[in-house]
Amino acid sequence: MKFTRLSWLAATNAAIVALACLGAQAAPPRYGGTLHIKLRASSFSLDPREWAPGSLSSAASEKLASLVYDRLVTLDDYARFQPALATEWTHDATSRNWQFKLRSAVRFSDGSMLTPADAVAALQSTLGKGFEVTAAENGIAIRAAHSTPDLLEQLASGRNFIFRRLLAGTLLGTGPFFVTESVAAAPSEANPSAIKPARIKFQANEGAWSGRPFVDFVEVILGEPPLRQLLDLQVGKADIAEIAPDLVRKGRQEGLRIWNSAPQTLVALRFDDTLAAPASDQIREALWLALDRDTMANVLLQREAQPADSLLPQWLSGYAFLFESPMNLQRARELRAAFPAGVPGATQPLRLRVDAPGDLFKLMGERVAVNARQANLLVQVALPVSGNNSAASAGGLHLFAWHYDSLSPHSELEDFVKQLLDARDLPGNATDPEQLFAQERRLLEERRILPLVLLPEYAGIRANVHNWNASPWGDWRLADVWLDSEDPMTSKAPTSPPKNNPTARNPGARP
Amino acid sequence: MTFRTKVFLIFLITVLASVSLVVYGVTFYTQRAFEQMDAGRTHALEVQFGKEFAQRGETIVQQVENITNADVTVRMVLDLARPNADASLYLHDANGAAQSHGLDFVEFVNSDGTLVSSAQYPARVGYKNDWVTSSKNWDATGAFLKREELPDAAALSLTAVRTQTVGNKTIYIIGGRRLDQNFLASLELPEGMRALLYKNLEPTFVASALTDANGGVPQAETFQSLIEQIQKQPQDLTKTISWNHDPASAETFHAMPLKGRNGELLGVLLLGSSAKELVLLKREILKIAAVVSLAALVIGLLLSWWVSRRITRPVEELANGARDVASGRWDTKIDVRGSDEIGELAVAFNEMTGTLAAQKEKLVQTERVAAWRELARRLAHELRNPLFPLQITVENLQRARQLGPQQFQEVFTEATATLKAEFANLNSIVTRFSDFSKMPAPEFSKVNVNEALRDAIRLFEPQFTALGKPHIGTEYFLSDSLPEIDADSELLHKAFQNLVLNAMDAMPAGGTLSLRSSDGGDTVRIEISDTGKGLTTEECSRLFTPYYTTKQLGTGLGLAIVQSVVSDHHGTISVSSEEGHGTTFRIELPKRQGGTVIKPKAEATPPEKESERAATATD
Repeated sequence: MKFTRLSWLAATNAAIVALACLGAQAAPPRYGGTLHIKLRASSFSLDPREWAPGSLSSAASEKLASLVYDRLVTLDDYARFQPALATEWTHDATSRNWQFKLRSAVRFSDGSMLTPADAVAALQSTLGKGFEVTAAENGIAIRAAHSTPDLLEQLASGRNFIFRRLLAGTLLGTGPFFVTESVAAAPSEANPSAIKPARIKFQANEGAWSGRPFVDFVEVILGEPPLRQLLDLQVGKADIAEIAPDLVRKGRQEGLRIWNSAPQTLVALRFDDTLAAPASDQIREALWLALDRDTMANVLLQREAQPADSLLPQWLSGYAFLFESPMNLQRARELRAAFPAGVPGATQPLRLRVDAPGDLFKLMGERVAVNARQANLLVQVALPVSGNNSAASAGGLHLFAWHYDSLSPHSELEDFVKQLLDARDLPGNATDPEQLFAQERRLLEERRILPLVLLPEYAGIRANVHNWNASPWGDWRLADVWLDSEDPMTSKAPTSPPKNNPTARNPGARP
Repeated sequence: MTFRTKVFLIFLITVLASVSLVVYGVTFYTQRAFEQMDAGRTHALEVQFGKEFAQRGETIVQQVENITNADVTVRMVLDLARPNADASLYLHDANGAAQSHGLDFVEFVNSDGTLVSSAQYPARVGYKNDWVTSSKNWDATGAFLKREELPDAAALSLTAVRTQTVGNKTIYIIGGRRLDQNFLASLELPEGMRALLYKNLEPTFVASALTDANGGVPQAETFQSLIEQIQKQPQDLTKTISWNHDPASAETFHAMPLKGRNGELLGVLLLGSSAKELVLLKREILKIAAVVSLAALVIGLLLSWWVSRRITRPVEELANGARDVASGRWDTKIDVRGSDEIGELAVAFNEMTGTLAAQKEKLVQTERVAAWRELARRLAHELRNPLFPLQITVENLQRARQLGPQQFQEVFTEATATLKAEFANLNSIVTRFSDFSKMPAPEFSKVNVNEALRDAIRLFEPQFTALGKPHIGTEYFLSDSLPEIDADSELLHKAFQNLVLNAMDAMPAGGTLSLRSSDGGDTVRIEISDTGKGLTTEECSRLFTPYYTTKQLGTGLGLAIVQSVVSDHHGTISVSSEEGHGTTFRIELPKRQGGTVIKPKAEATPPEKESERAATATD
């Protein structure tokens, strides 16, 4: 099933790799230079244990962490698991007991050796209570409480990085880069009312087991407004920048190279438990029927998003096409007409709190209000108090964005339910697609979560960036990227591998 | 109230009334002038608002036409004219047009009314704007007020609509600017005026919908009744609002309804004019008026005093003169000032007193002659009585020379005794006249009137009850609460003694002597009554004339002495009598003698011995 789900990803990536190879043949790889990246998230944490599942800021943090840390296994462009820090792995028939052999002679960025104890400590903290991680000969053993056939998907994604925590609290990784400078967001000295964005700088790890990355440095600036990011990309202040979906068309019109992932973010509505049944059921149903997802995706998001009928995207679950959310204004109005007196949404507006940051989500919230008004439902949009999408925030109705972190559909759905639906456990067999489908259908039929659209991740890439080989699920693989020498101010490195580098990078060496 | 006070008050009231009238007049006409000026300013502001409104409307029309005629708009029309055109391509175009043309609201609407792009409410893209397609003549229509729906709330805008047609395809371009505090800030307001805008976008009054050039209006709910009145009947209204107890805080608001394209009430413009200037000017006028009034009061006081004094002084002099005449100074003269009526009155007065003085002089001369005649008659009468026995005795002695010595001796002895007695009688007569002429000035001390009366009676009590004499009874009606009065006890005793003696003479056949005393407030009243034969009216009128007597052997000095004593005590004496029923003498003496040294009781002159007192009583 997993190959079935990911087969289209594989095909897509094969084409991208082929193109990349052609590009590589056209110009030889070059070492050196600083890769300038702009991300929308305003904050980050390189400690995976601090990441909140599904949050947009955690997605940005994961992107940065992938520069510093490695995983045990990775998924290649053909949807095959490839060895990373683990060179071999086995499991028993129940898929509860797993054995991983660690790669030898792997060193952290400070030169110390990676040991099984490091992997045990890291994974025990990220996998959670259902797993027991122990050190074994030349490797580690993972014992799951239940059958976990999708453990490799989990280990290849999300926060399951291998790192070492020093006494000072610093985290070390074995990845292609290490952090040299990190500046948190702070008020600007020139203008205290303006916030100077956070900045983090990575340096190439000469002793990386996977080979030295091509660029010397990666400088990342976070929290820039979307339009500013686009402009920076155009004027050369950024080599890679996240592009907001509503600016993608503008970027394309202006000749920018735009990359997009598979849908990575679900935008949906969530009802609080504050509404009393049975009126709440009618409100949910009426609003669900009033939502015009096609216009949201095709007009407001200018065809850069997909209407969402399910919680998990098709590429992750494989069954999302089975769900549909037909718009039926007539039925919605009938339900509205049957509302008992005093129900929110009838005489008093139902407050819709936009929990996701940015004008785009506010616009979608306003569209929900407009759609609701067509069904004679009163919905009033309230601006977010903060950038979180915590389920604990009250307000009746919430518009939130959920970023898919895991390559395991069960794990993702479980996280989704835990975070957004009263931390309940997901019952049934973890990996059976039919049961997973049934569970998701049941969740959708409750109408507590109303999916709106699925947003891919978009990035603008300048022409001087070569060998861009990002995965469809959003792994940017920046270690493989190399830069033109067109900007002498930002690149002084030679085109040949550094002589003192014992592990010169072979493009495509990393899966 | 004296005449002078009356004149003074009349003058004062006249001055104050005049000042008050002037102040009221100035205040009234100032207020009228201010109201006229205020009305003029409000009208000017209305005109300015109208011009600003029209000018801004023209600007908006121009801006919308610029958007309409821009190449991108023409290309949009061409693109949308194609079958299956993707309208989402133009999602952000309205926002771009709004920013580049300085408009708050821009929308592109397809020929079927579908919203293609909206700068202010992009979430509504795809929905119909039917009101745009309902009119066919937008290009000839100017800017108008419109209720603008926004995601969070509605707004008031000045909006223009234009169309762009390429081939058969037409799109509508709607552009507008928000009518808010910035618009109010663009109005040039005179000092003391302000403009408020109420955005009538809700069915009921909403305080937050009222704004001025700086934003929200404090105490906006104060305008609720005015706004609701206009909501019911959209017409110009004026209302004065007092913000606190200080009248200077009051503002007069002229409210003008602002209507939309279809006559719907979308807003209310309120032009407020502060009453501060007027109130301050009024206060200044009142302050000046107070100072002027004070000055007028002082001047009025002085002037009134001077005028009243000038008017009343001759009158007072006349009154004083009349009073002097009344007190006996008949030769009183007053100064004659001027030749007016008062002056003529003074001349007449002086002539009258002159005549009176002359008459009095004649009368005195006449009375003096009469008195001398009476005195001569009395003296002749008094002296004749002892002279006749003397003459007889001397003649007897002359005849006795012819008798024998023994007989002569007897006659001689008898004659010398008679001569002595008659000489003593003559001496007594001379002494009584001498005493009357030497009446001493009273020496005042505290005297109990009741005791003095009882002392006087006690002296004569043996005679009242003496055998062989008619019986005289006494009755006392003395007030026990009578206070001591300032009096000369000896003189008072002499006066009472004379009155008692007089009463005894009036009752030769006996009778009742009554004594009364009573408190008359500042005076003490004393009555001594007899039940004798009484007096005639003429006798009563002459009773106190010296040397007048109705008795055979009286000197006519007794009652004259009584009157003299009473007069020296600043009291009065009167007599009432009814013939055949008796006579009553009434004396009224003041309790206190003002400006006189009062000796303590111990130092008072001790009363003479009763015998001596009796000797001094004169009939």
